[in-house]
Amino acid sequence: MQTAFLLSMSVFTLMATDYLSIESAQRRLFGDKADYIFTKTPADKRLVKAVKKQAGVTLRPDRIRIWQAIEEGRQLGWVYEDQVIGKHEFITYAVGVDMNGRVVDVVILSYRETHGGEIMRPTWLAQFRGKTAEQPFKMGVDIEAISGATLSVRNVCDGVKKLLILNELALLHE
Amino acid sequence: MREMVCICLVILAMNALAGEDLFGHLKLAEPLPQGAWEVYQVATQRRDKGTGQYTAINTISEFEYGTTDRLTLSFGLAGQGIETSGLRVDGYLPGDNEYGFKSSGVELNLAYNILAPARDAMGLSYVIRLEKLWLDPHSGFDKDSLSLTTGVNLQKYVFEGQLIWAGNLALEATKATRRELEGLPDDFEWPTFAEVELEFTARTGMSYRFVPKWFLSIEGEFQQEYETEVNLERESIFVGPSVHYGGKNMWFTFSYLGQVSGRGETYDGQPDGYHLIEKTKHELIAKIGINL
Repeated sequence: MQTAFLLSMSVFTLMATDYLSIESAQRRLFGDKADYIFTKTPADKRLVKAVKKQAGVTLRPDRIRIWQAIEEGRQLGWVYEDQVIGKHEFITYAVGVDMNGRVVDVVILSYRETHGGEIMRPTWLAQFRGKTAEQPFKMGVDIEAISGATLSVRNVCDGVKKLLILNELALLHE
Repeated sequence: MREMVCICLVILAMNALAGEDLFGHLKLAEPLPQGAWEVYQVATQRRDKGTGQYTAINTISEFEYGTTDRLTLSFGLAGQGIETSGLRVDGYLPGDNEYGFKSSGVELNLAYNILAPARDAMGLSYVIRLEKLWLDPHSGFDKDSLSLTTGVNLQKYVFEGQLIWAGNLALEATKATRRELEGLPDDFEWPTFAEVELEFTARTGMSYRFVPKWFLSIEGEFQQEYETEVNLERESIFVGPSVHYGGKNMWFTFSYLGQVSGRGETYDGQPDGYHLIEKTKHELIAKIGINL
């Protein structure tokens, strides 16, 4: 009985599909010509604590992957891939950050919720462009809310802010 | 286990559709977005009144629509089946009764969202429900009742939404009239004049998403009913767990609620510490929903 229950849970969980690969997201953020060099995600406890203090949400380094975007020997910025909690499933998204710590763009890699598909629209995601760690990300004020997907929007806003703070504290001034 | 399988079969046989509840009775404060439809089917099995045999299944087929981003309207069709024997309670349960399924009533619900749980410190919705029943859910016999319920649903996301707290407060006013029954013993009390009842309900619970799409929940319900003649007619506390699956297009929830304490009106020889005239010891609830 217990095995059957766990098996059915796994089947339902595995039915989800991603919309975009990280490679496609990288090209969308910094173009085809750049090389993307995988970088280990910083994970020391002091950093995790500092990010939590500034962002107000927990940094989970095991869910984050980072690449340096390099073109002709010059670094253009970083690509962050992260997961945040949606209403039912994780939302996977990627953020491009330039060498000034500004958001180049945000791309949704997977979104599997019932409502709120607007979150994947480039016009909605464009609201993040140019944002820095110092700027406010309040849903409904700085970033437009999406009806039926308020938890998803809040967690993506908090997630982007968290990555910008991580970028500033750990990578930008390296 | 056999009862749970039966409830699933009832649902499948009715080809029912389903709206998203993480709990058995407890409701969340989130509205449907404008233009969204949900259709859902709920089946509740109530059993065990401490004496004799008592099993009742109540169903509700509900159609829910997001009129605006804040206002959700729904319409429900209620049905019930009952099998009771060996239990007769003056004024409440006139005797044995058995039928498979009958239409028992209709309901209209309105929920207006005031605060959104993910945007504000806490979610808050104001709810109104109008319910018309023509069968008594306790005895299964004919009884006309009209109920108006008003209340609030509260909801708070914790740990980025992995944990959800919810609370409900509701007050229901009911006017009910039993129909005449033939063949009752001379000394049996079966009033057919109109009665007025006031029911107060408080619920609270927590739901934890333990893997994507799957939630485990625990809830408690405190309920009191006051009636014209006897003042406090009943008081009960139910507690129990739920397991919920929520996918992109459908969801389902299975819940158990057990009566842990009760008081008010009693019948001769009933077990102490419960209210078993209008309530039972156990409730099994199965819900399935489809997002349209």
